Amino acid sequence: MSNNVRVQPDLKFVKELQAVGGESLKKCYQCATCSVVCPLSPADSPYPRKEMVWAQWGLKDRLVNDIDIWLCHNCGTCSDLCPRGAKPGDLLAALRNMAYRQLAPLGFIGKLMSNFGGVLMLALVPAVIYLAIWVAQAAHFGTAFPLFAPGEGHGVWEPVANGKVIYGGLFPGDYFIDPIFGAAFAFMLVCFYLGVQKLLKGLKASPAVYDLTGAEKPGMLAAFIDTIKHEVLQHSQFNDCGEDEEDKKRAFGHKMVMYAFIILMVVTGVVATGHWFGAWFLEHVMGLKDPFSKFIALLGSTPMPLHSVVKVAANVGAVMLIYGLMQLTKRRQGLDPKKQGSNFYDWYLLYVIWAIALTGVGAEIFRLVNIKYLAYPTYFLHLVAVFMLLAYLPWSKLGHLVYRIVALSYAKTIGRIPMGAAK
Amino acid sequence: MSNNSILVVGGGFAGITAALEAAEVGHEVYIIETNPYLGGRVAQLKHYFPKMCPPSCGLEIQFQRIKKNPKVKVYTMAEVESVSGTPGNFDVKIRQRPRYINEKCTACGDCAKAASTSVKSEFEFGMGKRKAAYITHPFAFPQRYVLDKDACDASELEQIKTACSYDAIDLEDSGKVFDLNVGSVVWATGWKPYDLSNLENLGGGQLANVVSNMQFERLAAPNGPTAGKILRPSDKAEPKRIAFVQCAGSRDQNHLNYCSYICCMASLKHVRYLREQYPDASITVYYIDLRTPGRYEKFKALTVNDPKLSLVKGKVAEIVEDSAKNPVVTVENAVTGIKSDEQFDMVVLATGMQPSVAGQQVPAGAPMDEEGFVVGGDEQGFIAAGCAKQPLDVMKSAQSGTGAAMKAIQTVVGR
Repeated sequence: MSNNVRVQPDLKFVKELQAVGGESLKKCYQCATCSVVCPLSPADSPYPRKEMVWAQWGLKDRLVNDIDIWLCHNCGTCSDLCPRGAKPGDLLAALRNMAYRQLAPLGFIGKLMSNFGGVLMLALVPAVIYLAIWVAQAAHFGTAFPLFAPGEGHGVWEPVANGKVIYGGLFPGDYFIDPIFGAAFAFMLVCFYLGVQKLLKGLKASPAVYDLTGAEKPGMLAAFIDTIKHEVLQHSQFNDCGEDEEDKKRAFGHKMVMYAFIILMVVTGVVATGHWFGAWFLEHVMGLKDPFSKFIALLGSTPMPLHSVVKVAANVGAVMLIYGLMQLTKRRQGLDPKKQGSNFYDWYLLYVIWAIALTGVGAEIFRLVNIKYLAYPTYFLHLVAVFMLLAYLPWSKLGHLVYRIVALSYAKTIGRIPMGAAK
Repeated sequence: MSNNSILVVGGGFAGITAALEAAEVGHEVYIIETNPYLGGRVAQLKHYFPKMCPPSCGLEIQFQRIKKNPKVKVYTMAEVESVSGTPGNFDVKIRQRPRYINEKCTACGDCAKAASTSVKSEFEFGMGKRKAAYITHPFAFPQRYVLDKDACDASELEQIKTACSYDAIDLEDSGKVFDLNVGSVVWATGWKPYDLSNLENLGGGQLANVVSNMQFERLAAPNGPTAGKILRPSDKAEPKRIAFVQCAGSRDQNHLNYCSYICCMASLKHVRYLREQYPDASITVYYIDLRTPGRYEKFKALTVNDPKLSLVKGKVAEIVEDSAKNPVVTVENAVTGIKSDEQFDMVVLATGMQPSVAGQQVPAGAPMDEEGFVVGGDEQGFIAAGCAKQPLDVMKSAQSGTGAAMKAIQTVVGR
């Protein structure tokens, strides 16, 4: 009996896992149906059967450093065909949720995000900041709902009685939007950096037994570029995840949401460049008045006319976002809870993006029709929602945006998955 | 006044046993059987547990006992329409389908020779054909042919009738509906193999060389479609690589949410059938847990002592076929953690037992579980026996039949 492996179960960990969405894991009897029916699972040490037994045994070290949880794109085929209703798909989702909490520092943010009360507390941070700004500005203008007319120069607004709803008038971007969101963005980046360091350290520490390709391994940079090109921009893994019509719709909806975000990100980048580089640096600091500088500055000038290319792009992005969200929400609502559960983490992300999309579109419409009592509160909510998404990104389910890309890239460097072109 | 006769529904091993036990202590017994023959699922096997007897062995004795006992009355091709009344006094309506061949039949087989129409045989699970006039198997009891009147036209019917030298063909037979007054009911309606068409990821019954365990039993039985030679269905070739897929639709909440008790043993028995015919064939049994209850552990020990047999822990979750109609199974070996596609000449799905009455309500309002097993009713004089109650082997079915006879007697005596 000298070869016996002594299992040291971490029972607390098992309970934690059950709490974050893996409650059915003990029903598993290791038949391995899940590993076979998974359309993505590789031949050597396929998932999720081994994760199920690790979870039952409480092998925390293996699970938290398991790269396979990031290869899974959660189509739910394993759970559909699971003979015991053990929901292996939910277990992997639960492990990812756990990773969002534990990879980045300040894990309490992730904990708060897993219930409604906690989310309200998190929402208080931007709400209080912008409410305070609003109150101070209201005192300054003598009204909480001021209207404006253009003043001298870019982004200068004069309060007038018969003016227009101008968000930049009430919340001047230079002082209240860009610095606060810049800080939130920087905070998020630092946390992500630390989270990625921890993720890679864990992945490197786990035993590398999964070389499947036999091909020469790419470096991290080559793997990263390859991942962006295939898995991200083309959704090459996601498209293969699941075989029925619903799965195809899910991948398409996700693609729409992702491209919408990319478009909106580019739009934001153009506006920021136009404003800070064009209007502030070229025109204000350098004192340039040439047509090029004027053009750059114009790109950063808000609100833009509806025929502006940038504005058209932003509106197209908004429509794509709402369309994709509808697909994803419909699918999640239609899930059979006996097969695939949805926890607060899943809903939170959908709700926050819905909030951003609806308040964003709402703010634009109310501004255009110039209803100040609806426009400003909607814009305020939009600011809160965007702050929620951005500042708390590493702890939310959207953290997969960074962690999954890193994990997929790393998986290529160790041969766990092939390079995109070799598939 | 209370009636001390007993109705046994189902003429399989449990039903026959219950009927004989009761009749031999003096009760009048009626056996109602939906098939044209008695013996149930056992009659379709090559060998049955625990002693690997051919079915004729055990059933022959039972049929002799039935023949010799005037207290046992048998109605084949008959079903219960309704049961009313109370324990000690049930009124049962029976509907018997027409057989079109009467008791003058000597089983000479001239009618089958005269028949030109052939259809897929239910007894062979579609693996073989039967004529429009047929007897399911050589030792069928009662020894009497059946005419499938709907399968043939008027001129063929005429030919068949003319061919019979005993005036046994009765084309006017219209069956009958009749009432029986009994004191208690033994419900022994048994099981049916789980429908392969539900197992979509295992080919859904559409792959030529993927058969169910009961089909395999027919392929191996000397009175089966291949006269006992195990050949793969598509091209009648001798299989060299055979896989068994355990728990095909069993212990699965999407199919049968329970273990059928005997399928692991059936597959090990099938390994022996194969080994007798093909000493060099390589055989793989894919299982979740190899369940060998009680004394069967010894059978397993003897069977698995075989260098060309591999037992692999891992449930097959996908079967497709290649261009040569070889089944290709995908499975993860849960011990090594390797997922692979394996090609075989033939695959046997160890499907489980589903209660024959699954999805229906049994008479007398007897309670059933969600799978269709009868789980009570004894107090109402409605006693379930055999696989209508739970999945069992033949030995335990017989025991269950004896127990049911005892309860049935207790219901009718002492009132």
